[in-house]
Amino acid sequence: MNIDQIKKEFPIFDEKIQNNDLVYLDSANSSQKPKIVVDRINEFYTKQFSNVGRSVHYLAVAATNLYENTRTSVQKYINAKDKNEIVFTKGATEALNLVANTLGQSYLQEGDEVLITELEHHSNYVPWHFLRKSKNIKINFAEINEEGEITLEEIEKKITPKTKLISITHLSNVTGAILPVKEITQLAHSKGIIVVVDGCQGAPHLKLDMQELDCDFYAISCHKMYGPTGLGVLYGKKKWLEELPPYQGGGGMINEVKKDRISYGELPNKYEAGTMATAQVIAFDQSIKFLESIGIENIMKHEADLVEYGQELLQKNNSVKLIGNPKNKGGVLSFTIEGVHPHDIATILDEDGVAIRAGHHCCQILHDKLNIPASARASVGIYNTKEDLDHLNQSINNCKKIFNL
Amino acid sequence: MNLKELYQEIILEHGKNPRNLRKTEGFNKDAKGNNPLCGDNVHVYLKLNGQKIVEDASFEGSGCAISMASASIMTDLIKGKNEHEAKEIVEDFLGMIKENPELKSEYLSEDEKTKLMCLSGVKQYPMRVKCATLSWHTMVSAFDEKTEEVKTEN
Repeated sequence: MNIDQIKKEFPIFDEKIQNNDLVYLDSANSSQKPKIVVDRINEFYTKQFSNVGRSVHYLAVAATNLYENTRTSVQKYINAKDKNEIVFTKGATEALNLVANTLGQSYLQEGDEVLITELEHHSNYVPWHFLRKSKNIKINFAEINEEGEITLEEIEKKITPKTKLISITHLSNVTGAILPVKEITQLAHSKGIIVVVDGCQGAPHLKLDMQELDCDFYAISCHKMYGPTGLGVLYGKKKWLEELPPYQGGGGMINEVKKDRISYGELPNKYEAGTMATAQVIAFDQSIKFLESIGIENIMKHEADLVEYGQELLQKNNSVKLIGNPKNKGGVLSFTIEGVHPHDIATILDEDGVAIRAGHHCCQILHDKLNIPASARASVGIYNTKEDLDHLNQSINNCKKIFNL
Repeated sequence: MNLKELYQEIILEHGKNPRNLRKTEGFNKDAKGNNPLCGDNVHVYLKLNGQKIVEDASFEGSGCAISMASASIMTDLIKGKNEHEAKEIVEDFLGMIKENPELKSEYLSEDEKTKLMCLSGVKQYPMRVKCATLSWHTMVSAFDEKTEEVKTEN
């Protein structure tokens, strides 16, 4: 696998960013886009555009086929049993809101408990909080250990007879911990508990096999998978998607509408009300082709090498403190520097062309637990190299110099 | 303006050892501010005397070097000013941070202007402007006795 070659597929790396070569270490936030994805959006709008699923003219039929092709590609990529288990949404956030909302309408009852973890992104907490307010459900938190991991034992400990649902991240966007989702699901199912997975960080970096994981729902963010913004995927087991009520009402999701009654459409239309992000869906097919052309095993190996290298580098850098040290770790290096606020770190690194994120990364619960207001985070993607991490380290040294450390 | 000018000695010094980082005893006005995007927060306390002059100003909170230095310098120079003067200084400061090349207020001494101008570097970093302005908006809110928390504008 030739990373230089792969990097050339991303036009942004030809650009000078404030006179610097771009060292992009913010892929956990959003990944850069390969040319084939960008070109596909342009091509669709230029030569093939039409709305999907409505009209009978040639362009409409062709666009509908392209749109449905992506659904099939996603199904295969994540090894879902059925094409209709793939629902497009405007993002992983909407996917998680859809699950919480529809389960809240028809499944969860007052007093039921939902178990989430201290690692969760706000997207996998706030939608459940809505149900805490509206339905009086209770939210419990599985706690992280010293290494920033959530263990199977901790999950088991927090399950009560009232636990109806477990909603967990596949890969923490702060500590990088990869959760034992398959084992958690086995345990949960043995007790009749539903499992929802926030796959925002998992999907771009891990091998996905829905039938093996066996979770009930899995939320995907396409813009973190070298795909367009404004698009997410919700995988849901067919029995759930058939049983649950619709999320939004509008065009496309209906079967028959009369003054006194409405019946809803079949899957997956039932959950795709209104005009969808058509161009993005069609372009996302290219993102999957891109990922497949490299191979997920190669991606995982490359990113694991990078993380190991980066971890060693930062561990040797005194005054840098890494957050979490999980055994199974994805491509995330969160850190603090004693005496320098993360926002100052990010501004100084930016001046050197090193793009990282600073803040609480939408994980205030976790930062409260760690007793820090914010952290700096470098995260890798397929286009990163060890040189990028060397740049990061040099720029951190520059930061220390400015702050007289 | 480059990075070195933003992170110059005076900012680093105030950032590291902020003045008035405490809670004024017997304060009679206060307000809270936070920056929801990054989780920074500040609580500003003012003690006005019978003549409505700021006898003491202080703050509590956490944040980056820019926000701490800004609150530190602000609470220092606001002492001895009345509400009208303080608000004019705030307007002048906010104008300078966003667009004006210099400070104009007659209520600021040359030395105070020099100190405040050290923060002018944030102009080049639009995402950081709110770090410099949070404590100032919060102080206005304290004067106005607003109870809701100040949120930084973007």
